[in-house]
Amino acid sequence: MTVGTETGSPLSAAVRGWSAPFAHALRVVFILAGILVVAQSFWMVKARPQDLVSGVFGMADFIRRATPPDFSQLDAAIWPTLETVDIAIFGTLMGVVMAVPLALMAAANVTPARWVYYVARGIIGFARAVPDLVWALLFVTAVGLGPFPGGLALAVHSIGMLGRLFAETIEQMDMAPVDALTLTGARRIQVFTHAIVPSLLPSFLGISLYRLDENIRSSLVLGFVGAGGIGFQLLTYMNLFDYRKVSLYLIITFVLVLGAERVSAILRQKLA
Amino acid sequence: MLKVQRLSLRYPNGKLALADFDLTVRAGELVIVLGGNGSGKTTLLRCIVRTLAPTSGEVWVNGTELTHLEGDRLRRARLELAMVSQHAALVKRRSVLANVATGSLGRHESLRADLGGFPPEELTVALGCLGEVGLAELGHQRAGTLSGGQAQRVSIARALAQRPRVLLADEPVASLDPEAAEEIMRLLRRLAADGNLAVLCVLHQIELAYAYADRIVGIRGGRKIFDDPPAELPRESVRHLYQDRAA
Repeated sequence: MTVGTETGSPLSAAVRGWSAPFAHALRVVFILAGILVVAQSFWMVKARPQDLVSGVFGMADFIRRATPPDFSQLDAAIWPTLETVDIAIFGTLMGVVMAVPLALMAAANVTPARWVYYVARGIIGFARAVPDLVWALLFVTAVGLGPFPGGLALAVHSIGMLGRLFAETIEQMDMAPVDALTLTGARRIQVFTHAIVPSLLPSFLGISLYRLDENIRSSLVLGFVGAGGIGFQLLTYMNLFDYRKVSLYLIITFVLVLGAERVSAILRQKLA
Repeated sequence: MLKVQRLSLRYPNGKLALADFDLTVRAGELVIVLGGNGSGKTTLLRCIVRTLAPTSGEVWVNGTELTHLEGDRLRRARLELAMVSQHAALVKRRSVLANVATGSLGRHESLRADLGGFPPEELTVALGCLGEVGLAELGHQRAGTLSGGQAQRVSIARALAQRPRVLLADEPVASLDPEAAEEIMRLLRRLAADGNLAVLCVLHQIELAYAYADRIVGIRGGRKIFDDPPAELPRESVRHLYQDRAA
């Protein structure tokens, strides 16, 4: 307020070195920058609406050749479907096993040391930052094609979300029962099993179920890079132009994803 | 039963929170501590249970001196000393009975207790303690469903399951309505008399102190101002406890 420049708005009066014309100029710059960003994005993706119109015929041709779905293949589809679900279950379970100790280290209130906290947060962040598809590619090169690398990819990628949410749950935990139990003369292990575990377990289960639902969707896609399951079948029949089998697998996918979402939601509701 | 001798605590910033505090609570006695905010009442309790380490002085509980104990010996000594605080601090997702039974864990060293279970005989004891506070019929309810007054009684039952000689209560009625507060005070009164417990209770309610205490202890600036039976304590001196602080 010691500056003797323009004092047009309350803001410019309150902030040192801030004047109304400057604020206006800044606003114009921001708007122009925004337009520029959107425009270059359209240019980069080479968006051509006319292609969408002509593409309708290609789409119609696909739908004609894909109907009716080849339901005679339903029994053959059971195995890959089971594989997709099992990859997700394996990945979620292994993810939880790895995420719990990491979360304990990455929760500010229980971490054993500051540097451990940062290392654990780093690992969790890295696991999430690398997409599950990339993890799958890495594990396929390491252990070969099949469902195993898919499960490993989901496990590692799940650490990212599970570790962060577990850590947040631990940080928000009500510490009063923990302190109360410590004062009764209970041992550390007893405080852990009798106060900490019962407070955290329902939340952890809920988060894991939510992750399982997400992992079933991810596991569908992982088949595209050779990790087995429905995705692999979809890719194969797509390459063989066997569109009636493709549509069958799309229907299975739809049912599976919707079913997993419902079951996960119902179970989580029961936990709450 | 509980004997505090020349207990002092000076914070690192130089503030003297507790100065040469002497206090004795005999078995069967309910002693109530009154004092304004920041007078050192809670600090006194926390120094006794050793969540704060006093700078000097001694705390004797049933013949054991606490201030020099560490680790497992401190844990064992704390078995004699139960604490009830302003908030019930129950594990909300567990049953009321399980919450009460956790009070007894310290005396058990079994795999079952380590893994989250209870020795069967402790559940019987816990049910008895729950009966003591008049809530035996709520044993299987989730602790999260209780009212504030009920939860506080359950936390007292948990303290009883510990089978202590000394019961410390830090503003146990601060978040309760007047009726529930009276109920808790009657309970503490009865536990002291019938259970032969030494009860030391910090309060803000002067009326409750007069109604239930065997002795009232006044604290201001970390020093003991008076220590008298209610009948011999003029209201004027209690009022001074709060007035002088404002001056």
